[in-house]
Parts: sequence; C-alpha cells; structure tokens
Amino acid sequence: MASLLQQVQSKMFIFAHRRALALLDGEYGSVFKGRSLDFDDLRPYTPGDEVRDIDWKATARHGSPLVKRYVAVRRQTVLLVADTGRNMAALAASGECKRDIAVQALGVLGYLAHRHGDVVGLVHGDAEVSRTVPPRRGEDHLERLLQEVDRSAVLDGGPSGIARQFDFVLRNFTRRMLLVVVADELLPGAATEMLLRRLQARHEVLWFTVRDAELAGPVVADAFEVADGSGIPSAIAADPRVRADYLQARTEREQRRQEFFRRLGIAEGRAGSSTEVLPELFALLERHRTRTSHRTRASHSSGRTTSPEGRQHAG
Amino acid sequence: MELNYWWILPLAAATLTLALARAARRSRGRDVRPVAHSGRLTALPQYRRALRCRRRWLTTAVVAGFLLLTATALAAARPAERSTTQPELRNRDIILCLDVSGSMAGTDAALTGVFERLAKEFDGERIAMVMFDSRAVQLFPLSDDYDYVAGELAAARKAFDDGGDDFFSGTWGGNGSSLVGDGLASCLRSFPGTGQDANRSRSVILATDNYVSGAPFFTLEQAAQLATPKGIRIHALNPGDLDYGGDRNQPGARLRAVAESSGGSYFALDNPAAVPGIVQKVQEGEAAAHQGAAQLVVADRPELPLLAALLSGAVLLLAGWRLER
Repeated sequence: MASLLQQVQSKMFIFAHRRALALLDGEYGSVFKGRSLDFDDLRPYTPGDEVRDIDWKATARHGSPLVKRYVAVRRQTVLLVADTGRNMAALAASGECKRDIAVQALGVLGYLAHRHGDVVGLVHGDAEVSRTVPPRRGEDHLERLLQEVDRSAVLDGGPSGIARQFDFVLRNFTRRMLLVVVADELLPGAATEMLLRRLQARHEVLWFTVRDAELAGPVVADAFEVADGSGIPSAIAADPRVRADYLQARTEREQRRQEFFRRLGIAEGRAGSSTEVLPELFALLERHRTRTSHRTRASHSSGRTTSPEGRQHAG
Repeated sequence: MELNYWWILPLAAATLTLALARAARRSRGRDVRPVAHSGRLTALPQYRRALRCRRRWLTTAVVAGFLLLTATALAAARPAERSTTQPELRNRDIILCLDVSGSMAGTDAALTGVFERLAKEFDGERIAMVMFDSRAVQLFPLSDDYDYVAGELAAARKAFDDGGDDFFSGTWGGNGSSLVGDGLASCLRSFPGTGQDANRSRSVILATDNYVSGAPFFTLEQAAQLATPKGIRIHALNPGDLDYGGDRNQPGARLRAVAESSGGSYFALDNPAAVPGIVQKVQEGEAAAHQGAAQLVVADRPELPLLAALLSGAVLLLAGWRLER
C-alpha cells in the first residue's frame, strides 16, 4: 500500500510552493498563542506570523524582522478528531470520496504539527464506538493515524455520529490541546452544541468540513443514502423545480451551520475537493488566529492593571 | 375461444423472465453514487411530490408494459373461435299453387300476403305463383327478383281482397271449375327440369278445398305422381275440410294423402288468420328437411388482444414520455 502521508505531501507540494508552505507553517505556529507569556527567545519573522508578535526594538537593531517566541509555543498536543462513520465513505462535492479529502486535511495538519515538533493523536469512530490513537511524534505515527482513518471510514461501517467522539474526548483528555475536528456537512444538534461548548472551554477547537456531494442537478447516476440505503433517482434530482428548492434549502442550511459556528466562536473551514484542502486550511488557521487574537487582546486589556507581568510584556 | 399456438405463451413468459433477470443483473452492477445527508434533498416537499409523481408513472409504465406484452403474446398465439354452423338453406324453389275458385278468396289473400312479406326477406330462394280454376295460369315464373315478386303478390292480394274479376279471367273457360288435378300438374310442370337447378329444394304450397266440378285431365293423384321424380314436396292448405268419418275418398283425406305421400304436409284451416303460422311451420319443416351438413368454422379472433395491446402501448408511450421529461 502506498504511503498515505506521501500522497498527502505530494499533493501539498504540487498545490503550494515553498513560500506558501512556510506561510502555512507560520499560520500553524500562531494558532497556539496567548496561552503563556513566558518569553523564550527571538526568531526571524516568517510570513504568516502575527505582526503583533514582532519585536520592533530588536528588529530595529537587527535590521530584519524578529519575532518573539514564547515558551509554550514549542510543544503542543494536536488531537485529530475525525468522523469515520459510513457517512465519510460517501461522495464529496467534487465527486471524490469524502474519506480521501478528510485524510488529506488530517495529513496536512498532522504534517504541519510534525514539522513543528508537536505530538499528534487521533480520536475517530462512528455513532457506536470511538477509537483512539494516543498522541505521539513522528512520521510513522502520522502515517499510522492516516491509515487508521482510511481503513475505518467504509460504506459498511457504523453510522456517523461525531457527538460520540466529542464525549470521548471530554472524558479522556483533560490536558489543553488543539482539537482539529474533521467531519462532513452535518448540522449539529443541541446536545452536540453542549459538548462542543465544554470542549471549547478546555481546548482550542478548529473545525474542518468536508463538503458533501450536491444532490440535485444534472447528475448522471442514481444516488443512495449511505445511512439507510434509500435511493434518489437521477431523473428527480435533475428536475429544475426540485433543484431550485434544493438550492434554497441548502443555502438556508449553510446559514444555520455558519450561525452555529459563529455562536460557539469556532473557526470553520470547508473543502469540497482535495485540491481545496490546502488553501482552505490556510484560511481556517487565519480565521482562527484573528478570532483568538481578538479574544486575547480583550483579556490583555482587562488584565493590564492587575497583572504586572502582562503590563511588562505588553510594553 | 382457443389458442392455435398456445406454446407462444410459455415462450413469451420465459423470454420476459430472462430479460427481467438480465436487466436486474445489469442494474445491480450499475454505478450508483453513495451520498450522505440526503435529507437535504429528500425532505423537500417538492422532491416528495416529484417522487410520488414518478412512482405513479413508473407503476403505470410497468403495468402497461406488462399488459402490452401479455396482449401481444396472446395475439401472437392466435386466439380463434371454433364453432359448428348449420348452413341455412337458401336454394329453395317455392311455387304457390292457388285455387282461385270463389270459396278460396280469403285463404289466397292471406297466403299471398304472407309471401309478399317473406319475399322481402328472401335471399337466394325463388318463388313462382300459379293460380287455377278451370285452367291454370302462371302469374309469374320462378324468380328471385323480389321487388317484382312482391309487386305481383301485392297485385294478387288486392285482387283476392276486392274480387277483381279481370285478374282471374284467364282461369275460366275450361271444362268445369276448381280442377285441382290439372292445376297441380301445371304447378309441378313449372319447375325447371334439369341442369344446375336440379339440386335445389322444391316445394309446392297448394291451397285448395279439393272440391272438383267437371272433368279434369289429371286426377289429383295422377298429378301428384309428377312430383315424385322431381323430388317436389307438396304442402296442402285446406280451408274447407268438411270430411266426416274415415272415408278415404273424401276430398280432405285425398288431399292429405297426396301431400304426405310427396313428403309434404297437410293443414286444415279454420280461419285465414292461421295462414302465417302455417307458412312458418312449412318453412321450418323445409329447413329441417334440407339441413346442410354441419360445418366446423375456425375463425381468428385477435380483436380483443390487439385492442388491449394498442391501448396499453399508447399508455406506455405516454408514461415513457412523462418519465423521460
């Protein structure tokens, strides 16, 4: 079997040249921020680093931009949370298997974490069972994670239910870490929302959506629902009136999803094909950074009078 | 109703089953897209409506297709109706032989009236009329020109009703009156002798009271002998049967003997109104005596299956068109 990680990397390098990748590294690096303000050292600025982190005095002395590095930036735990129910064996918007796009996204993120020296763990499963691979370091480990996801998300697997994985993470992981959720275009319910709120209180949460296949339109083949096997005749899917209603319903659904993520303050990215994964991930990290920077800035300004340490570093 | 090629039906059923099995196998191997969250589409009312509509048309198409196949298979199996028919005899020659002496006027009028009516329904029969008193006069020869016959009969009936003497003038001047033997002989001679006419059924309807005055050339019995070689049946109608006792020489008894010896029948009339019934009886008797051999007729009856095939084919086309849209 060809190495999944190699496939992910080859796709990464085809679609992004070196500078873009460095940018991505910078974005990834600035995901963890504001957790510790212990100054460690300075390092050269990489595009994607937050401008706020530039040490202007040091930069002026040095002649090129330098960025302050904090202790906590160095070692992080990344927990990939993936839906590997049979929903993920269905088709994505591009016609690829959603599993392949999920593997691509997990692979890119895992690889970024690996380059950063972070440990990567995996929680995946369906509505009936959750499985976990404990966080570890190394490309072999990453490859193992990807293989596990690739192997699990099959058509005759269990039904999808990401809430179960959230519950599992809540009960088993107490240390703060970065959660990257990779799921499809599900519409989370109230129970899932509660779980996510609790997760968010404890961890950093990123959500990456694999977009589902379009159901209505001039499709050539009949479709069947992976959850219960019911069929969708292509003739009806191609009906223009059905399609018009579908497009409207889809827009409304997407608005509700967006509203959900906005309410929880979770950055969400979505890709319908494996070529979209890299730019979307980049946008996701960017979105997350701006969101958390707002939050940390708010906490900084409020803590300025009470915390001398905060004042020291803000200055 | 039976099928000439009944084996087509199991053949068609086997072919249909085979085709269905093939189609099922092919559809199993067909490319079907697995999708998730199909509720995005299937929960839409518009989708449900379209699905219901499509299901209806699909059902219609399947039923129509099945009907079409069944009907065409049935038609191909050649449904036929097997029936035995008794071909009705249409090749009769009938001569009305009427005694026109004064006492017979009522019966004659009734008889001509009946045949005037019958002539309109005849198809192939030939009819002639001879009237006699002391001489016999052929009013019209054997003819299947029914308009002409009806006209002549109408004229005769009118004459009988009105007592139009001119009409009967040719029957007088002979030797006596009501010479039944001579009259019957003339009637029997009116049949053509040989040729293709020979195998037509022949009958004479003789209306007379058999009261002879004068000296005829033929006695009744001598005249009746002429009938035998030609196979002519004599049906006698007697409106004045006044026989009493068993004497064989009485007029009625003699008439009866003559009629029955020729294979015909004898009717004593009380009332001219009974004539139509008697003519009917004579006709039926003739038909029974001259029944043709029963024939087996096998007729293809594909109308019903073909009509069903046409209709279901039209429905199938309509359903196909609706499904294709």
